Amino acid sequence: MSGTTDGDASDRDDDAEGGDAGTADRDGGSARASAGRLDSESRQGPPYTESQVIMSTVKVVAPFAFTYGLFVTFHGGGSPGGGFQGGAIAAAVVFMIAFAFGIESTRQWLANTVVVALAVGGTLVFAGLGLVPVARGGAFLQYDLLPLPYLDPVKYGMEAVEIVGIAPIVSGVLVGLFFVLARGFNGEGSGPPIGERGYLGSTGDAAAATPDETEGSDQTDETDESDPDAGSTGRAATDGGAR
Amino acid sequence: MSVVDASLAAGYTVEDFLLAVAAGFVVLAIGMLYRAVKGPTMQDRVLAVNVLGTNTVVILAILGAALGEPTFLDIALVYALLNFLMAIAISKFTVERGGVL
Amino acid sequence: MTGAIPLVDGTAPVVAEISAIEATLFAFVVLTALATAFARDVLAAVIVFGAYSLGMAALYTFYRAPDVALTEAAVSAGVTTVLLLLTLAKTTRIDHEAAFESVNYPAAGAVGLLFAGLAVTMVDVPAVGSPDAPVWSNPDVSQWYLAETYARTGVENTVMAVLAAFRGFDTFGEAVVVFAAGIAALIVLRREVFA
Repeated sequence: MSGTTDGDASDRDDDAEGGDAGTADRDGGSARASAGRLDSESRQGPPYTESQVIMSTVKVVAPFAFTYGLFVTFHGGGSPGGGFQGGAIAAAVVFMIAFAFGIESTRQWLANTVVVALAVGGTLVFAGLGLVPVARGGAFLQYDLLPLPYLDPVKYGMEAVEIVGIAPIVSGVLVGLFFVLARGFNGEGSGPPIGERGYLGSTGDAAAATPDETEGSDQTDETDESDPDAGSTGRAATDGGAR
Repeated sequence: MSVVDASLAAGYTVEDFLLAVAAGFVVLAIGMLYRAVKGPTMQDRVLAVNVLGTNTVVILAILGAALGEPTFLDIALVYALLNFLMAIAISKFTVERGGVL
Repeated sequence: MTGAIPLVDGTAPVVAEISAIEATLFAFVVLTALATAFARDVLAAVIVFGAYSLGMAALYTFYRAPDVALTEAAVSAGVTTVLLLLTLAKTTRIDHEAAFESVNYPAAGAVGLLFAGLAVTMVDVPAVGSPDAPVWSNPDVSQWYLAETYARTGVENTVMAVLAAFRGFDTFGEAVVVFAAGIAALIVLRREVFA
């Protein structure tokens, strides 16, 4: 029941978008068709529809949400929360900004270095906090052996693990997942895929090649026809992947 | 003896009253769930989820008051801030099925 | 602890009395779960799954697990829906009739047997909030942590103390698992950089 109605709705969306693309091709000449669309004249680059409502609201909400994520992280010792929750909220703020201002722009603003530094740095800090007591003759993560002057090493060691360890890992990995999912398999732009062929091409050839090779003993005629082609493409894909 | 333990009428305390109100809001949420499941269009579902999120914020706040746990408001605050993200994500997704993201 | 959760004696019958808020929240959660499972459209399933997380967070909150509820709120409302939507946007849409497969009866039977086995064990599970439940009444585990956390660690949140101090090595493993998940996503999508 809902399936058919959904199909109708998506068809309507497609029609509306088709009309919009038509006006864009005519270089904004038709004022009648683009009436009510503030952004249809100035839109360029990757397909991304600006929304004044969403952008304005995100401008207001994002600082509060990010501050709240920091609060949840830093105040985890006295109230519900901690590094995991705070990191997830901070990552959600990045998602929010990306939806409002475009994922491509957000990707350029928040460089790959930042994302990787958050994830890797958090892991290294956590491991370091665990290994410092080991170096001083204690057990892994034995906080009271941390060399902290004037501070309770147990309490502030735990806070450091939550704030500098877990929260950056979670936020960095979540933001990275978001970007890498938004890019998809064969995304354009920076970040070359591993291997010279795209992912879809290599798997398609490999999937086509595999049954022929496994059934080769039974059906010799077909494999003689299709084996050289499938084998060569499969090898090329493998070489590209290994390179 | 806090406010929520005060007797309201016939042995029922304010806590019982607040919990009953929260249950009433959950019943409203179940009613709104019909719109989220049935549709028929995605816009209906987006609105339904938005209303459900706001409803949950109210439920969490009432629970925090009834059970005497002010920290429950933290969770309500998270939903108030992030429910907006869910709404804009789905609503931007429904345009050209994610082609404009 | 207040007495909002109806407490039953250890020898009381299994069917504990249940308050209105619990009953309605359970109904909401079960309905959303069923609607998610039976949704014909993937996008509708994602949306209803968001509603499911709202109900679960309220339920966790009512059972006084605010840390879990906060995690559910942050991860589910903020992250899961967005990542699922992005995945949908980057994958092709299957026709509804083709996507709806017929019921696999052996699998359904196996699931039914598993459910029946779990339902039988429910008889011996202590009631929710029971003071005689082993997880609560054991003086060496739960009560010890509740009593000793502040003196030994200096933080008030017992959950965080258990995560970061008493079970710190497990948490380190979890953090590494999250880190590895990011690397695994890069490998699966055949990328060298995130951004």
